[in-house]
Amino acid sequence: MSKQQPVLFSIGWNACINCGACVAICPQEAGFVSPFDTIAVDRPCDIACLLCEAICPVDTITHVPVLQQVAQPALATALRRTRSAPPTHPGEL
Amino acid sequence: MPPTDYDLIIIGAGPAGSTTARFAAEAGLRVLLVDKRQELGAPIQCSGAISGHGLAAAGIDADPEFIHEAIYGFAIYDQEGERTVHDYRLLKPDEYGAAEGKKPLGYVVDRRRFDRYLMTQAERAGAGVWLKTEGLGYQPTDDGHCTVSLRRYNQDLRLTTRVLVGADGLQSQVGRWAGLQTHIKITELAGCLQFIVDGVETEGLLEIVTGHEWAPGGYAWVFPKGHGYAEIGLGVIATMTDKPAQWHLDKFIRQSFFRRRFANSRVLEVQGGGVPLAAPLRTQYADNLILVGDAARHVNPITGGGLHTAVAGGKIAADFLIGHLGDGLPLQDGALRAYQTLWLEELGEKMWKLYGIKTDIFHNMNIQQRDRQLYATMSDYFSPTSEFKKI
Ligand SMILES: Cc1cc2nc3c(=O)[nH]c(=O)nc-3n(C[C@H](O)[C@H](O)[C@H](O)COP(=O)(O)OP(=O)(O)OC[C@H]3O[C@@H](n4cnc5c(N)ncnc54)[C@H](O)[C@@H]3O)c2cc1C
Ligand code: SF4
Repeated sequence: MSKQQPVLFSIGWNACINCGACVAICPQEAGFVSPFDTIAVDRPCDIACLLCEAICPVDTITHVPVLQQVAQPALATALRRTRSAPPTHPGEL
Repeated sequence: MPPTDYDLIIIGAGPAGSTTARFAAEAGLRVLLVDKRQELGAPIQCSGAISGHGLAAAGIDADPEFIHEAIYGFAIYDQEGERTVHDYRLLKPDEYGAAEGKKPLGYVVDRRRFDRYLMTQAERAGAGVWLKTEGLGYQPTDDGHCTVSLRRYNQDLRLTTRVLVGADGLQSQVGRWAGLQTHIKITELAGCLQFIVDGVETEGLLEIVTGHEWAPGGYAWVFPKGHGYAEIGLGVIATMTDKPAQWHLDKFIRQSFFRRRFANSRVLEVQGGGVPLAAPLRTQYADNLILVGDAARHVNPITGGGLHTAVAGGKIAADFLIGHLGDGLPLQDGALRAYQTLWLEELGEKMWKLYGIKTDIFHNMNIQQRDRQLYATMSDYFSPTSEFKKI
Protein backbone atom coordinates (compact mmCIF):
# COMPACT_ATOMS: atom_id res chain seq x y z
CA MET A 1 0.00 0.00 0.00
CA SER A 2 1.54 3.30 -1.02
CA LYS A 3 1.78 6.21 1.39
CA GLN A 4 0.65 8.97 -0.92
CA GLN A 5 -0.73 12.41 -0.48
CA PRO A 6 -4.48 12.58 0.20
CA VAL A 7 -6.81 12.34 -2.76
CA LEU A 8 -10.37 13.33 -3.46
CA PHE A 9 -12.32 10.68 -5.35
CA SER A 10 -14.73 11.41 -8.12
CA ILE A 11 -17.29 8.90 -9.42
CA GLY A 12 -18.68 8.91 -12.92
CA TRP A 13 -22.28 8.32 -11.86
CA ASN A 14 -23.35 7.59 -15.39
CA ALA A 15 -21.40 4.30 -15.36
CA CYS A 16 -21.66 3.48 -11.65
CA ILE A 17 -23.93 0.49 -10.90
CA ASN A 18 -24.03 1.22 -7.12
CA CYS A 19 -22.58 -2.17 -6.36
CA GLY A 20 -20.61 -1.27 -3.24
CA ALA A 21 -17.47 -3.15 -4.26
CA CYS A 22 -15.42 0.00 -3.68
CA VAL A 23 -16.71 0.21 -0.11
CA ALA A 24 -15.96 -3.45 0.59
CA ILE A 25 -12.33 -3.08 -0.46
CA CYS A 26 -11.84 0.24 1.36
CA PRO A 27 -9.56 0.16 4.43
CA GLN A 28 -11.03 3.38 5.85
CA GLU A 29 -12.97 3.14 9.06
CA ALA A 30 -16.78 3.24 9.23
CA GLY A 31 -18.59 6.00 7.42
CA PHE A 32 -16.32 6.67 4.44
CA VAL A 33 -19.31 6.13 2.16
CA SER A 34 -21.69 8.07 -0.05
CA PRO A 35 -25.49 7.73 0.01
CA PHE A 36 -25.20 5.76 -3.25
CA ASP A 37 -23.37 2.73 -1.86
CA THR A 38 -19.99 4.03 -3.01
CA ILE A 39 -16.92 5.38 -1.23
CA ALA A 40 -17.14 8.99 -0.02
CA VAL A 41 -16.64 11.72 -2.59
CA ASP A 42 -17.24 14.75 -0.35
CA ARG A 43 -13.96 14.65 1.60
CA PRO A 44 -10.40 13.60 0.93
CA CYS A 45 -9.05 10.13 1.56
CA ASP A 46 -5.76 10.19 3.45
CA ILE A 47 -4.89 6.56 2.78
CA ALA A 48 -4.96 6.88 -1.01
CA CYS A 49 -4.36 3.17 -1.65
CA LEU A 50 -6.60 3.47 -4.74
CA LEU A 51 -7.86 -0.10 -4.35
CA CYS A 52 -11.38 1.16 -5.02
CA GLU A 53 -10.31 2.26 -8.47
CA ALA A 54 -8.81 -1.14 -9.15
CA ILE A 55 -11.87 -3.13 -8.05
CA CYS A 56 -14.60 -1.06 -9.76
CA PRO A 57 -16.14 -3.36 -12.37
CA VAL A 58 -16.95 -0.46 -14.66
CA ASP A 59 -13.78 1.58 -14.06
CA THR A 60 -15.65 4.71 -13.06
CA ILE A 61 -13.62 6.04 -10.09
CA THR A 62 -10.96 8.72 -10.57
CA HIS A 63 -9.15 11.01 -8.14
CA VAL A 64 -7.36 14.32 -7.85
CA PRO A 65 -4.51 14.79 -5.40
CA VAL A 66 -5.21 17.13 -2.51
CA LEU A 67 -2.27 19.05 -1.02
CA GLN A 68 -3.40 19.38 2.55
CA GLN A 69 -1.71 22.63 3.50
CA VAL A 70 -0.81 24.34 0.27
CA ALA A 71 -3.84 23.70 -1.82
CA GLN A 72 -6.84 24.35 0.41
CA PRO A 73 -8.44 26.45 -2.34
CA ALA A 74 -8.14 23.47 -4.69
CA LEU A 75 -9.89 21.32 -2.10
CA ALA A 76 -12.59 23.91 -1.73
CA THR A 77 -13.11 23.96 -5.48
CA ALA A 78 -13.11 20.18 -5.65
CA LEU A 79 -15.59 19.98 -2.79
CA ARG A 80 -17.82 22.51 -4.42
CA ARG A 81 -17.87 20.35 -7.53
CA THR A 82 -19.07 17.33 -5.54
CA ARG A 83 -21.47 19.18 -3.24
CA SER A 84 -24.42 17.75 -5.06
CA ALA A 85 -23.85 14.53 -3.12
CA PRO A 86 -25.42 14.91 0.31
CA PRO A 87 -22.98 14.67 3.23
CA THR A 88 -22.34 11.32 4.79
CA HIS A 89 -22.19 10.43 8.43
CA PRO A 90 -19.67 8.77 10.68
CA GLY A 91 -20.58 5.40 12.16
CA GLU A 92 -20.50 6.67 15.72
CA LEU A 93 -23.46 7.74 17.77
CA MET B 1 -32.40 -5.43 34.05
CA PRO B 2 -34.32 -2.61 32.40
CA PRO B 3 -36.29 -3.67 29.36
CA THR B 4 -35.06 -2.78 25.89
CA ASP B 5 -37.11 -1.68 22.91
CA TYR B 6 -36.18 -4.93 21.12
CA ASP B 7 -34.35 -8.17 21.72
CA LEU B 8 -32.78 -7.97 18.27
CA ILE B 9 -32.28 -5.18 15.80
CA ILE B 10 -31.14 -6.52 12.46
CA ILE B 11 -29.53 -4.17 9.95
CA GLY B 12 -30.06 -5.33 6.38
CA ALA B 13 -33.05 -7.26 5.03
CA GLY B 14 -31.14 -9.39 2.52
CA PRO B 15 -31.40 -13.19 2.68
CA ALA B 16 -29.20 -13.35 5.80
CA GLY B 17 -31.04 -10.67 7.79
CA SER B 18 -34.55 -11.78 6.85
CA THR B 19 -33.82 -15.41 7.66
CA THR B 20 -32.38 -14.47 11.05
CA ALA B 21 -35.43 -12.29 11.68
CA ARG B 22 -37.94 -14.97 10.69
CA PHE B 23 -36.58 -17.74 12.92
CA ALA B 24 -35.98 -15.37 15.85
CA ALA B 25 -39.48 -13.89 15.62
CA GLU B 26 -41.06 -17.34 15.30
CA ALA B 27 -39.41 -18.24 18.60
CA GLY B 28 -40.97 -15.20 20.24
CA LEU B 29 -38.06 -12.75 20.27
CA ARG B 30 -38.93 -9.09 19.73
CA VAL B 31 -37.26 -8.36 16.41
CA LEU B 32 -36.83 -5.20 14.34
CA LEU B 33 -35.48 -5.69 10.80
CA VAL B 34 -34.42 -2.55 8.95
CA ASP B 35 -33.17 -1.86 5.44
CA LYS B 36 -32.17 1.40 3.87
CA ARG B 37 -33.56 0.49 0.47
CA GLN B 38 -36.96 1.31 -0.92
CA GLU B 39 -37.13 -1.92 -2.90
CA LEU B 40 -35.30 -4.93 -1.55
CA GLY B 41 -32.89 -6.68 -3.85
CA ALA B 42 -32.71 -3.71 -6.23
CA PRO B 43 -30.48 -2.87 -7.97
CA ILE B 44 -29.79 -6.57 -8.39
CA GLN B 45 -26.23 -7.58 -7.64
CA CYS B 46 -26.58 -11.32 -7.91
CA SER B 47 -27.07 -14.13 -10.41
CA GLY B 48 -29.54 -15.80 -8.10
CA ALA B 49 -28.45 -19.41 -8.22
CA ILE B 50 -29.32 -21.44 -5.12
CA SER B 51 -29.61 -25.17 -4.53
CA GLY B 52 -32.90 -26.84 -3.64
CA HIS B 53 -31.46 -28.28 -0.43
CA GLY B 54 -30.11 -24.82 0.48
CA LEU B 55 -33.66 -23.47 0.41
CA ALA B 56 -35.13 -26.51 2.14
CA ALA B 57 -32.56 -26.48 4.95
CA ALA B 58 -33.55 -22.91 5.79
CA GLY B 59 -37.24 -23.79 5.65
CA ILE B 60 -37.88 -21.80 2.48
CA ASP B 61 -40.46 -23.16 0.02
CA ALA B 62 -39.51 -22.99 -3.64
CA ASP B 63 -42.29 -20.50 -4.33
CA PRO B 64 -43.01 -19.57 -7.96
CA GLU B 65 -43.22 -15.97 -6.74
CA PHE B 66 -39.43 -15.68 -6.88
CA ILE B 67 -38.26 -18.45 -9.21
CA HIS B 68 -36.98 -17.54 -12.65
CA GLU B 69 -36.03 -21.03 -13.74
CA ALA B 70 -35.36 -24.52 -12.39
CA ILE B 71 -31.83 -25.91 -12.68
CA TYR B 72 -30.90 -29.54 -13.23
CA GLY B 73 -27.13 -29.57 -13.25
CA PHE B 74 -23.86 -27.97 -14.27
CA ALA B 75 -21.55 -27.67 -17.25
CA ILE B 76 -17.98 -26.65 -16.50
CA TYR B 77 -15.80 -25.46 -19.39
CA ASP B 78 -12.07 -25.10 -19.79
CA GLN B 79 -10.60 -22.16 -21.62
CA GLU B 80 -10.94 -23.78 -25.06
CA GLY B 81 -14.53 -24.92 -24.57
CA GLU B 82 -14.04 -28.58 -23.56
CA ARG B 83 -16.67 -29.33 -20.97
CA THR B 84 -17.60 -31.61 -18.09
CA VAL B 85 -21.35 -31.99 -17.64
CA HIS B 86 -23.12 -33.10 -14.47
CA ASP B 87 -26.73 -33.27 -15.59
CA TYR B 88 -28.66 -34.71 -12.67
CA ARG B 89 -31.57 -35.55 -14.99
CA LEU B 90 -29.23 -38.20 -16.44
CA LEU B 91 -27.23 -38.99 -13.32
CA LYS B 92 -30.22 -39.56 -11.03
CA PRO B 93 -33.21 -39.79 -13.35
CA ASP B 94 -35.54 -41.13 -10.65
CA GLU B 95 -35.01 -38.11 -8.47
CA TYR B 96 -34.32 -35.10 -10.71
CA GLY B 97 -36.30 -33.84 -13.65
CA ALA B 98 -39.17 -31.67 -14.78
CA ALA B 99 -41.79 -34.44 -14.71
CA GLU B 100 -44.35 -34.96 -11.99
CA GLY B 101 -42.86 -36.51 -8.85
CA LYS B 102 -39.32 -35.35 -9.67
CA LYS B 103 -37.55 -32.25 -8.50
CA PRO B 104 -35.07 -29.68 -9.74
CA LEU B 105 -31.56 -29.59 -8.31
CA GLY B 106 -31.77 -25.86 -7.72
CA TYR B 107 -33.14 -22.59 -8.97
CA VAL B 108 -32.23 -19.25 -10.43
CA VAL B 109 -34.20 -16.77 -8.35
CA ASP B 110 -35.19 -13.17 -8.91
CA ARG B 111 -33.44 -11.36 -6.08
CA ARG B 112 -36.04 -8.58 -5.97
CA ARG B 113 -38.83 -11.09 -5.42
CA PHE B 114 -36.73 -13.48 -3.33
CA ASP B 115 -35.62 -10.81 -0.85
CA ARG B 116 -39.13 -9.41 -0.58
CA TYR B 117 -40.55 -12.91 -0.07
CA LEU B 118 -38.09 -13.63 2.77
CA MET B 119 -38.81 -10.26 4.35
CA THR B 120 -42.55 -10.99 4.18
CA GLN B 121 -42.00 -14.33 5.90
CA ALA B 122 -40.14 -12.51 8.68
CA GLU B 123 -42.93 -10.00 9.02
CA ARG B 124 -45.59 -12.70 9.13
CA ALA B 125 -43.57 -14.41 11.87
CA GLY B 126 -43.91 -11.26 13.92
CA ALA B 127 -40.81 -9.20 13.15
CA GLY B 128 -41.18 -5.46 12.70
CA VAL B 129 -39.86 -4.48 9.28
CA TRP B 130 -38.91 -0.94 8.32
CA LEU B 131 -37.71 -0.01 4.86
CA LYS B 132 -36.05 3.33 4.10
CA THR B 133 -34.31 2.98 7.44
CA GLU B 134 -30.56 3.23 7.57
CA GLY B 135 -28.39 2.04 10.42
CA LEU B 136 -25.95 4.76 11.47
CA GLY B 137 -24.13 3.47 14.52
CA TYR B 138 -24.34 1.59 17.80
CA GLN B 139 -23.05 1.88 21.31
CA PRO B 140 -22.91 -0.83 23.98
CA THR B 141 -24.19 0.47 27.32
CA ASP B 142 -23.18 -0.23 30.91
CA ASP B 143 -26.41 -2.09 31.62
CA GLY B 144 -25.31 -4.86 29.23
CA HIS B 145 -27.47 -3.74 26.30
CA CYS B 146 -26.80 -1.34 23.44
CA THR B 147 -28.33 1.62 21.66
CA VAL B 148 -28.66 1.71 17.90
CA SER B 149 -29.07 4.89 15.91
CA LEU B 150 -31.19 4.77 12.80
CA ARG B 151 -32.46 7.25 10.26
CA ARG B 152 -35.93 6.59 8.91
CA TYR B 153 -37.31 8.92 6.23
CA ASN B 154 -34.89 11.59 7.48
CA GLN B 155 -35.94 11.14 11.07
CA ASP B 156 -33.18 10.25 13.53
CA LEU B 157 -34.08 7.54 16.03
CA ARG B 158 -32.30 5.88 18.90
CA LEU B 159 -33.48 2.48 20.05
CA THR B 160 -32.25 0.05 22.65
CA THR B 161 -31.74 -3.64 21.99
CA ARG B 162 -30.04 -6.63 23.51
CA VAL B 163 -28.24 -7.66 20.32
CA LEU B 164 -27.53 -5.92 17.05
CA VAL B 165 -27.18 -8.20 14.03
CA GLY B 166 -25.13 -6.83 11.14
CA ALA B 167 -26.59 -8.39 7.98
CA ASP B 168 -25.67 -5.40 5.85
CA GLY B 169 -24.00 -7.24 3.03
CA LEU B 170 -20.77 -6.76 1.16
CA GLN B 171 -20.38 -3.06 1.93
CA SER B 172 -20.98 -3.74 5.63
CA GLN B 173 -20.36 -0.88 8.00
CA VAL B 174 -21.81 -2.50 11.13
CA GLY B 175 -18.66 -4.53 11.81
CA ARG B 176 -16.56 -1.39 11.36
CA TRP B 177 -18.68 0.40 13.98
CA ALA B 178 -17.28 -2.10 16.46
CA GLY B 179 -13.77 -1.73 15.07
CA LEU B 180 -13.73 -5.18 13.41
CA GLN B 181 -11.44 -5.59 10.42
CA THR B 182 -13.91 -6.18 7.62
CA HIS B 183 -12.31 -4.83 4.48
CA ILE B 184 -11.39 -7.50 1.98
CA LYS B 185 -7.99 -8.01 0.40
CA ILE B 186 -7.72 -6.83 -3.19
CA THR B 187 -6.54 -10.33 -4.17
CA GLU B 188 -9.76 -11.79 -2.78
CA LEU B 189 -12.58 -9.57 -4.00
CA ALA B 190 -13.80 -10.40 -7.49
CA GLY B 191 -15.18 -7.46 -9.44
CA CYS B 192 -18.22 -8.86 -11.26
CA LEU B 193 -20.41 -7.71 -14.08
CA GLN B 194 -23.30 -9.49 -15.77
CA PHE B 195 -25.85 -8.86 -18.46
CA ILE B 196 -29.34 -10.27 -18.60
CA VAL B 197 -29.75 -11.06 -22.28
CA ASP B 198 -32.30 -12.17 -24.79
CA GLY B 199 -31.34 -14.42 -27.68
CA VAL B 200 -29.05 -16.91 -25.91
CA GLU B 201 -30.19 -20.54 -25.62
CA THR B 202 -29.69 -22.45 -22.38
CA GLU B 203 -30.36 -26.05 -21.34
CA GLY B 204 -31.36 -26.02 -17.68
CA LEU B 205 -27.73 -26.10 -16.55
CA LEU B 206 -25.54 -23.58 -14.76
CA GLU B 207 -22.60 -23.12 -17.11
CA ILE B 208 -19.25 -22.12 -15.68
CA VAL B 209 -16.33 -21.10 -17.87
CA THR B 210 -12.84 -21.23 -16.39
CA GLY B 211 -9.60 -19.92 -17.87
CA HIS B 212 -7.32 -16.96 -17.28
CA GLU B 213 -7.98 -15.74 -20.81
CA TRP B 214 -11.64 -15.04 -20.03
CA ALA B 215 -11.77 -14.30 -16.31
CA PRO B 216 -8.38 -13.87 -14.61
CA GLY B 217 -8.71 -14.89 -10.96
CA GLY B 218 -12.39 -15.80 -11.27
CA TYR B 219 -14.68 -17.43 -13.82
CA ALA B 220 -17.36 -16.57 -16.35
CA TRP B 221 -20.90 -17.92 -16.30
CA VAL B 222 -24.00 -18.42 -18.40
CA PHE B 223 -27.15 -19.07 -16.36
CA PRO B 224 -30.71 -19.65 -17.58
CA LYS B 225 -32.96 -16.80 -16.45
CA GLY B 226 -36.44 -18.01 -17.39
CA HIS B 227 -38.73 -16.90 -20.23
CA GLY B 228 -35.93 -17.66 -22.70
CA TYR B 229 -33.57 -15.13 -21.15
CA ALA B 230 -30.05 -15.83 -19.93
CA GLU B 231 -27.46 -14.25 -17.75
CA ILE B 232 -23.87 -13.83 -18.99
CA GLY B 233 -21.33 -12.60 -16.50
CA LEU B 234 -17.89 -12.89 -15.03
CA GLY B 235 -15.75 -11.91 -12.10
CA VAL B 236 -12.07 -10.95 -12.15
CA ILE B 237 -9.41 -10.28 -9.53
CA ALA B 238 -7.92 -6.83 -9.97
CA THR B 239 -4.36 -7.90 -9.28
CA MET B 240 -4.48 -10.40 -12.14
CA THR B 241 -5.51 -7.95 -14.83
CA ASP B 242 -5.18 -4.25 -15.52
CA LYS B 243 -8.62 -4.15 -17.14
CA PRO B 244 -12.03 -3.83 -15.42
CA ALA B 245 -14.62 -6.62 -15.40
CA GLN B 246 -16.57 -4.74 -18.06
CA TRP B 247 -13.69 -5.05 -20.55
CA HIS B 248 -13.35 -8.77 -19.86
CA LEU B 249 -17.08 -9.37 -20.26
CA ASP B 250 -17.04 -7.63 -23.60
CA LYS B 251 -14.09 -9.76 -24.69
CA PHE B 252 -15.76 -12.96 -23.43
CA ILE B 253 -18.89 -12.20 -25.42
CA ARG B 254 -17.08 -11.27 -28.62
CA GLN B 255 -14.07 -13.56 -28.66
CA SER B 256 -14.68 -16.70 -26.60
CA PHE B 257 -15.71 -20.08 -28.01
CA PHE B 258 -19.27 -18.90 -27.29
CA ARG B 259 -19.07 -15.93 -29.67
CA ARG B 260 -21.44 -17.50 -32.18
CA ARG B 261 -23.86 -18.49 -29.45
CA PHE B 262 -23.79 -14.89 -28.16
CA ALA B 263 -23.85 -13.23 -31.57
CA ASN B 264 -27.54 -12.29 -31.39
CA SER B 265 -27.64 -11.49 -27.69
CA ARG B 266 -29.39 -8.30 -26.69
CA VAL B 267 -28.72 -6.79 -23.28
CA LEU B 268 -31.84 -6.30 -21.12
CA GLU B 269 -30.24 -5.45 -17.76
CA VAL B 270 -26.78 -4.61 -16.45
CA GLN B 271 -25.86 -5.85 -12.98
CA GLY B 272 -22.70 -6.26 -11.02
CA GLY B 273 -21.00 -6.25 -7.70
CA GLY B 274 -18.17 -7.58 -5.64
CA VAL B 275 -17.87 -11.21 -4.59
CA PRO B 276 -15.50 -12.04 -1.75
CA LEU B 277 -13.53 -15.15 -2.69
CA ALA B 278 -12.17 -14.79 0.79
CA ALA B 279 -12.02 -16.52 4.13
CA PRO B 280 -14.85 -15.81 6.56
CA LEU B 281 -14.06 -12.99 9.01
CA ARG B 282 -11.87 -14.23 11.83
CA THR B 283 -13.92 -12.22 14.33
CA GLN B 284 -17.63 -12.04 13.62
CA TYR B 285 -18.81 -10.72 16.98
CA ALA B 286 -18.27 -7.81 19.37
CA ASP B 287 -20.12 -6.51 22.40
CA ASN B 288 -23.87 -6.90 21.74
CA LEU B 289 -23.12 -7.55 18.08
CA ILE B 290 -22.86 -10.41 15.62
CA LEU B 291 -22.40 -10.43 11.86
CA VAL B 292 -24.05 -12.76 9.36
CA GLY B 293 -24.06 -13.28 5.58
CA ASP B 294 -21.83 -11.23 3.28
CA ALA B 295 -21.15 -8.86 6.17
CA ALA B 296 -19.23 -11.70 7.83
CA ARG B 297 -17.88 -12.82 4.43
CA HIS B 298 -19.95 -16.00 4.66
CA VAL B 299 -19.39 -16.69 0.98
CA ASN B 300 -18.24 -19.89 -0.68
CA PRO B 301 -14.67 -18.98 -1.74
CA ILE B 302 -14.67 -21.38 -4.69
CA THR B 303 -18.01 -20.58 -6.30
CA GLY B 304 -18.62 -17.11 -4.88
CA GLY B 305 -22.10 -18.32 -3.94
CA GLY B 306 -23.41 -16.53 -0.88
CA LEU B 307 -27.17 -17.18 -0.90
CA HIS B 308 -27.12 -20.65 0.61
CA THR B 309 -24.55 -19.56 3.19
CA ALA B 310 -26.57 -16.40 3.95
CA VAL B 311 -29.79 -18.27 4.72
CA ALA B 312 -27.97 -21.12 6.48
CA GLY B 313 -25.99 -18.58 8.52
CA GLY B 314 -29.18 -16.68 9.30
CA LYS B 315 -30.71 -19.81 10.76
CA ILE B 316 -27.59 -20.55 12.80
CA ALA B 317 -27.55 -16.98 14.12
CA ALA B 318 -31.23 -17.16 15.07
CA ASP B 319 -30.86 -20.57 16.74
CA PHE B 320 -27.92 -19.27 18.72
CA LEU B 321 -29.64 -16.06 19.80
CA ILE B 322 -32.87 -17.83 20.77
CA GLY B 323 -30.89 -20.01 23.17
CA HIS B 324 -28.49 -17.35 24.38
CA LEU B 325 -31.10 -14.66 25.01
CA GLY B 326 -33.55 -17.20 26.34
CA ASP B 327 -31.01 -18.19 28.99
CA GLY B 328 -30.33 -14.54 29.81
CA LEU B 329 -26.58 -14.98 29.23
CA PRO B 330 -24.19 -12.01 29.04
CA LEU B 331 -23.79 -10.16 25.75
CA GLN B 332 -20.53 -8.31 26.26
CA ASP B 333 -16.86 -9.05 26.94
CA GLY B 334 -16.52 -11.81 24.39
CA ALA B 335 -19.69 -13.64 25.41
CA LEU B 336 -20.94 -13.75 21.81
CA ARG B 337 -17.91 -15.69 20.68
CA ALA B 338 -20.13 -18.73 21.20
CA TYR B 339 -22.02 -17.69 18.05
CA GLN B 340 -18.88 -17.89 15.97
CA THR B 341 -18.00 -21.25 17.48
CA LEU B 342 -21.41 -22.63 16.56
CA TRP B 343 -21.18 -21.17 13.07
CA LEU B 344 -17.74 -22.69 12.52
CA GLU B 345 -19.01 -26.10 13.58
CA GLU B 346 -22.08 -26.04 11.40
CA LEU B 347 -20.76 -24.27 8.30
CA GLY B 348 -17.51 -22.43 8.77
CA GLU B 349 -15.03 -25.29 8.99
CA LYS B 350 -16.10 -26.43 5.53
CA MET B 351 -15.73 -22.91 4.19
CA TRP B 352 -12.24 -22.62 5.62
CA LYS B 353 -11.38 -25.90 3.88
CA LEU B 354 -12.69 -24.55 0.58
CA TYR B 355 -10.67 -21.40 1.17
CA GLY B 356 -7.55 -23.55 1.51
CA ILE B 357 -8.27 -25.30 -1.79
CA LYS B 358 -8.93 -22.01 -3.53
CA THR B 359 -5.78 -20.42 -2.13
CA ASP B 360 -3.66 -23.34 -3.31
CA ILE B 361 -4.95 -22.90 -6.84
CA PHE B 362 -4.41 -19.17 -7.05
CA HIS B 363 -0.99 -19.27 -5.42
CA ASN B 364 0.23 -21.22 -8.42
CA MET B 365 1.88 -18.64 -10.66
CA ASN B 366 1.98 -20.92 -13.68
CA ILE B 367 -1.13 -19.82 -15.52
CA GLN B 368 -1.63 -23.01 -17.55
CA GLN B 369 -1.27 -25.24 -14.53
CA ARG B 370 -3.57 -22.98 -12.55
CA ASP B 371 -6.21 -23.08 -15.28
CA ARG B 372 -6.07 -26.88 -15.30
CA GLN B 373 -6.37 -26.98 -11.51
CA LEU B 374 -9.33 -24.61 -11.47
CA TYR B 375 -11.13 -26.56 -14.18
CA ALA B 376 -10.52 -29.87 -12.37
CA THR B 377 -11.58 -28.41 -9.02
CA MET B 378 -14.76 -26.85 -10.40
CA SER B 379 -15.62 -30.03 -12.30
CA ASP B 380 -15.16 -32.06 -9.14
CA TYR B 381 -16.91 -29.53 -6.91
CA PHE B 382 -20.21 -29.85 -8.78
CA SER B 383 -20.07 -33.61 -9.26
CA PRO B 384 -22.50 -35.84 -7.37
CA THR B 385 -19.59 -37.32 -5.40
CA SER B 386 -18.21 -34.00 -4.16
CA GLU B 387 -17.66 -33.84 -0.41
CA PHE B 388 -18.85 -30.22 -0.53
CA LYS B 389 -22.27 -30.95 -1.98
CA LYS B 390 -23.99 -29.42 0.98
CA ILE B 391 -22.62 -25.88 0.67
C1 LIG C 1 -22.65 -10.41 -9.63
C2 LIG C 1 -22.96 -11.29 -8.48
C3 LIG C 1 -23.52 -12.54 -8.70
C4 LIG C 1 -23.81 -13.38 -7.64
N1 LIG C 1 -24.38 -14.58 -7.92
C5 LIG C 1 -24.70 -15.43 -6.91
C6 LIG C 1 -25.33 -16.67 -7.20
O1 LIG C 1 -25.66 -16.98 -8.35
N2 LIG C 1 -25.61 -17.50 -6.17
C7 LIG C 1 -25.29 -17.17 -4.88
O2 LIG C 1 -25.54 -17.99 -3.99
N3 LIG C 1 -24.73 -15.98 -4.58
C8 LIG C 1 -24.42 -15.11 -5.57
N4 LIG C 1 -23.84 -13.89 -5.26
C9 LIG C 1 -23.60 -13.56 -3.85
C10 LIG C 1 -24.87 -13.12 -3.16
O3 LIG C 1 -25.50 -12.10 -3.89
C11 LIG C 1 -24.59 -12.59 -1.74
O4 LIG C 1 -23.75 -13.48 -1.08
C12 LIG C 1 -25.88 -12.42 -0.94
O5 LIG C 1 -26.65 -11.37 -1.46
C13 LIG C 1 -25.58 -12.14 0.52
O6 LIG C 1 -26.77 -11.88 1.22
P1 LIG C 1 -26.80 -10.96 2.50
O7 LIG C 1 -28.15 -11.08 3.07
O8 LIG C 1 -25.64 -11.28 3.36
O9 LIG C 1 -26.49 -9.49 1.98
P2 LIG C 1 -27.26 -8.57 0.89
O10 LIG C 1 -28.10 -9.38 0.01
O11 LIG C 1 -26.22 -7.71 0.30
O12 LIG C 1 -28.23 -7.66 1.79
C14 LIG C 1 -27.73 -6.62 2.58
C15 LIG C 1 -28.86 -5.65 2.82
O13 LIG C 1 -28.44 -4.70 3.80
C16 LIG C 1 -28.91 -3.43 3.45
N5 LIG C 1 -28.06 -2.45 4.12
C17 LIG C 1 -26.73 -2.25 3.94
N6 LIG C 1 -26.29 -1.28 4.76
C18 LIG C 1 -27.35 -0.87 5.48
C19 LIG C 1 -27.52 0.11 6.52
N7 LIG C 1 -26.50 0.83 6.98
N8 LIG C 1 -28.75 0.29 7.02
C20 LIG C 1 -29.80 -0.43 6.57
N9 LIG C 1 -29.69 -1.39 5.62
C21 LIG C 1 -28.48 -1.60 5.08
C22 LIG C 1 -28.84 -3.41 1.95
O14 LIG C 1 -29.74 -2.44 1.43
C23 LIG C 1 -29.25 -4.84 1.59
O15 LIG C 1 -30.62 -4.95 1.38
C24 LIG C 1 -23.53 -13.01 -6.30
C25 LIG C 1 -23.00 -11.74 -6.06
C26 LIG C 1 -22.71 -10.89 -7.14
C27 LIG C 1 -22.11 -9.55 -6.85
S1 SF4 D 1 -17.23 -0.09 -7.43
FE1 SF4 D 1 -17.62 1.35 -9.16
S2 SF4 D 1 -19.66 0.72 -9.92
FE2 SF4 D 1 -19.45 -0.21 -7.87
S3 SF4 D 1 -20.39 1.31 -6.48
FE3 SF4 D 1 -18.17 1.76 -6.52
S4 SF4 D 1 -17.99 3.33 -8.15
FE4 SF4 D 1 -20.01 2.40 -8.45
